[in-house]
Amino acid sequence: MSDTVTQVPRRAFLKSALSVTGTAMLAPTIIPSSALGLDGAVAPSDRIVVGGIGIGNRGTYDLSCFLQQPDVQFVAVCDVKERRRLAVKKIADDHHGNENCDMYRDFRDLLDRSDIDALLIATGPNWHATMAMNAAKAGKDMYCEKPVTKNISQSLILAETMRRTGRVFQAGTQRRNLPHFAFACELARTGRLGKLKKVYAHPAGMQAMMSGWLPPEPEPDREVVDWNMYLGPAAWRPFNEKLLDGFNFEKGGGLVGGGVLEWGSHCVDLCQWAVGDCPPPVEYDPPKDGELVARYENGTELIFREKGWIPLGSCPVRFEGETGWVEAGDSGKIVLSSPELLAGRQVEEIGGYPATFHVRDFLDCVKTRSKPKGNADAACNAHIACHAANIALALDRQVKFDNTTHTFIDDEQANRLRSEALREPWRL
Amino acid sequence: MQNSQRITQFVILLVTLNLLWTATAVAEDAVAPQEAELLAVLRSDAPAADKAITCKKLAIYGSAEAVPDLAKLLADPELNSWARIALEAIPGEEADEALRNATESLDGLLLVGTINSIGVRQDAQAVEILSAHLQDADSDVASAAAVALGHVGNASASESLRQALATASLSVRSSIAEGCVLCAESFLADGDSDTARQIYDEVRAADVPLQRVIEATRGAILARKEDEAIPLLMEQFRSPVKQLFQLALGTAREFPGGDVDQALANEMRRTSPERAALIIQAMADRPETVVLTAVLDAARQGPKEVRLSAIEALKRIGDVSCLPSLLEIALETDEDVAGTAKDTLSEIPGDDVDGQILALLPQSEGGMYPLMIELVGRRRLQAVPELIKALESSDNDVRSAALIALGETVNLDRLDVLVNQVVSPDHSDDAPVAQRALKAASVRMPDREACAVMLADAIDQTPSVKTMSALLEILAAVGGTRSLEAVGAAANSADAQLQDTGTRLLGQWMTADAAPVLLDLSKSASDGKYRDRAFRGYLRIARQFVLPEQERVDMCEQAFEMSRRPADQKLVLEVLERYPNAGMLGLAIQAMQTPELKDDATPVVLKIAEKIGGDQKQIIEQLSKAGLEKVKLEIVQAEYGAGTTQKNVTDILQEQVRNFPLITLKSNSYNTSFGGDPAPGVVKELKVRYRIDGKEGEASFAENAPIFLPLPK
Repeated sequence: MSDTVTQVPRRAFLKSALSVTGTAMLAPTIIPSSALGLDGAVAPSDRIVVGGIGIGNRGTYDLSCFLQQPDVQFVAVCDVKERRRLAVKKIADDHHGNENCDMYRDFRDLLDRSDIDALLIATGPNWHATMAMNAAKAGKDMYCEKPVTKNISQSLILAETMRRTGRVFQAGTQRRNLPHFAFACELARTGRLGKLKKVYAHPAGMQAMMSGWLPPEPEPDREVVDWNMYLGPAAWRPFNEKLLDGFNFEKGGGLVGGGVLEWGSHCVDLCQWAVGDCPPPVEYDPPKDGELVARYENGTELIFREKGWIPLGSCPVRFEGETGWVEAGDSGKIVLSSPELLAGRQVEEIGGYPATFHVRDFLDCVKTRSKPKGNADAACNAHIACHAANIALALDRQVKFDNTTHTFIDDEQANRLRSEALREPWRL
Repeated sequence: MQNSQRITQFVILLVTLNLLWTATAVAEDAVAPQEAELLAVLRSDAPAADKAITCKKLAIYGSAEAVPDLAKLLADPELNSWARIALEAIPGEEADEALRNATESLDGLLLVGTINSIGVRQDAQAVEILSAHLQDADSDVASAAAVALGHVGNASASESLRQALATASLSVRSSIAEGCVLCAESFLADGDSDTARQIYDEVRAADVPLQRVIEATRGAILARKEDEAIPLLMEQFRSPVKQLFQLALGTAREFPGGDVDQALANEMRRTSPERAALIIQAMADRPETVVLTAVLDAARQGPKEVRLSAIEALKRIGDVSCLPSLLEIALETDEDVAGTAKDTLSEIPGDDVDGQILALLPQSEGGMYPLMIELVGRRRLQAVPELIKALESSDNDVRSAALIALGETVNLDRLDVLVNQVVSPDHSDDAPVAQRALKAASVRMPDREACAVMLADAIDQTPSVKTMSALLEILAAVGGTRSLEAVGAAANSADAQLQDTGTRLLGQWMTADAAPVLLDLSKSASDGKYRDRAFRGYLRIARQFVLPEQERVDMCEQAFEMSRRPADQKLVLEVLERYPNAGMLGLAIQAMQTPELKDDATPVVLKIAEKIGGDQKQIIEQLSKAGLEKVKLEIVQAEYGAGTTQKNVTDILQEQVRNFPLITLKSNSYNTSFGGDPAPGVVKELKVRYRIDGKEGEASFAENAPIFLPLPK
């Protein structure tokens, strides 16, 4: 995924959000800073003390969104790679004009710090869920990059852990805080397209992938690259530099993962929003002619489609009802079956999928303890849909999912792919 | 560990390879042979890598037969985790028993992993073993046992944990508390709230980390009946510990029933303003049962931060009964308060709210009149005649509000009102507002061509170039055929300001039909500045827009013909490289014939040649004609870095070698292509020693430069 993104000041967004919605679509978690006693200036007691873990390319962008917020004080970075620790410390120290950003190789040392309220977790996907749950148990709120989980079981445990620990969790699904996607989802959710028939997501490559065991190479000094911590919950294998990219390493456990999960955690998440964040589909067909069709309990279809999109940029989605349709993508634009659907509104076009608003949503919820847009329950459902689709893809046959028991119906093979053991000592 | 001779399962492995069948269902009799083959690998002296991947397959296809072989791997530090992937997945008592047995012989991390797997399988028969391990001298083992017991979650598991909670060492107590809470959650889910409550209370009373207390307190509140739960919840609201107050905010949102809402309202009134503002947000997240009057009272008066929070919360929970108070608040002098109230008034849902605003509009006076007009606009209510009437007001605020509201609500049949206000405003001060309103209205017109006709006609009605320019800006925002004609005409006019506006707008046009207009302009515009602008605009369309392949080639050919400077021609080369095909290759080869372009065009030619498929023979012939022969290229040594910090990238570079002296990396970024930044924050260089057709050469490249290797002499 490209890191080319646009940064938009929050004030501009709040204004635009109002112009888009006209109603309460984006309102729930955003209240004026003055309402929280901030009134422009940020008292030390109102600052949110943030630490970052695994801040690489995407994480550096996320970090910039955090640092734009006046109430954020970024005090610590943890990374298994020394050069990343140093690079992030420089960014943070330059921003704050001090030398106070502490560096850690082992994230547990960072979690031990009682002064840290919230975390930015932007490791590779191998670590996301395990680290998020460790963070929750240590009493931290977190903004966690996607894909958030490696399998269905992790998705369920993540949602349950966040509930039990009372932590605020925001998945890195920043499109939930962009007005054109919000508007498109609102049209679908509120029945303005008629009875919803099909929601389309662009998986951008329906191939499953796994990381393997490459020939061993001399392991670097632990201070330079801590291979043991890099592997973390992934099954053991010897050091090989080719596995160090993080982005693709162990993305989705078992024999599934990959394309559907990488982009699905965004575009399927939007489809889930369009269907009112209901439980995930109950039937998943194997791919055929570039489409993988899943069905919700009420018959609405979730279609993973590779081709046939109106060129609206990456991460396109399309929602079709009985009386209308809407399509939206990362260009910031939407296309409607009829301009009447606008009902006189103007939809603010914010292209480049900036995360600024999503980060702000998270920080507001850290204060109010409300649920952010990309909360753990929403992320859980969207990720289950992706994992189940990947299992249908891997087994090349239809699978049926029971949302009550969270298991596949009469399907032992599919059920065995619901979870995967973590390497010692890690647990959820 | 043995080193596998073949590269095993490198990064991307399509699952449709030999790992899985593609049959619609895997018959039982098909599983056995597969499992036998897999077990043969485990029993052989195959490299650890092969055994690891075999474990993954057994996770799907293994049966009880596989368990003994998998269990043997639990003692292997390299394969323990792989074996547990299968053992956690294989159903049946055999896998449970194997994991339990392994706890007798393993220690340290391997024991921790095995206990974790027992926890995942929720093996009730392991309670005794796990309970014994609560006393393990290794605190990691004891902690793992505690959490595993929590996952088992039955009566005996909870009993062990509750006993240990009082006696365990500090290093293990947090995990025991975690196990206790997990047990309590199970009891609560099963309807045994009494036991759950007891466990939660024991954890709350224990000397455990605050986060464990938070989890237990949340559970203790939700497990109690309302008459006990609400006081406990309020106790947290009053806690001086910030985290417990935060817990209360979260738990209040989860609390079932409606009895808690009045308690929240009371607490909001009695606490500090800072906390009251937050409690109001929690109250508003309970829209079904919230005490609306309490929030409305808080909106009317009190500390500012509380009022702002309440006014904002009314967006979600307010109804028509809140209208009089909010209207009053919206007229207050404090801008924050008034502004938030206006926002809320714009968003409170309800047809009855709309109806009341429309009813109040004609009766409004003083400051209330522009406010009501503003609300009509923001809520997009149909009151055009009243808004037109308001344009006659002598009050600037009223006229401005009316214009903005018309911009939000007027239809095409009365767009003329706004056009007139732009072309000949009754009050000159109104012109900028009228222009903004006209733009807002125009871009939302369903029939944009009809709208463009009105706007284009308006240009003919005004003598003012400034007004014409404003109308052109609006036409550009509307887009479409008529708009393009009008803006194109302006760009070709004799007036310098209109030329400037027209060419600028065409340069940003959002559809490809502007290309012919820009092409003409780039040839005919009287001012060189505008010719250049038109050329760049034309090339922008070729570079950025979705176009048929041949059309883009034709555009690039035209662009070459029009370009006057090498800098422009290089921009065209960039487009050729971006869309490689046979046509683009031909153009790039043609460009090579221009001496000033040869150095830039040559790598483009090679890059296109590498990327395009089709008739390779023909491509090679074309390249030969252009003086580019196929070569044999070998990388002798390549280093990337700065100063003494150098990274050997020979293998990476060699992997990308093709038949031409150009190397295309996977990414434009050297850092990405070479697996990371060897010297962060420092200017780096790539140094390459190579052989082309046996002759050795050497070259250096600045970071991220194209790697075009000169032919050695």
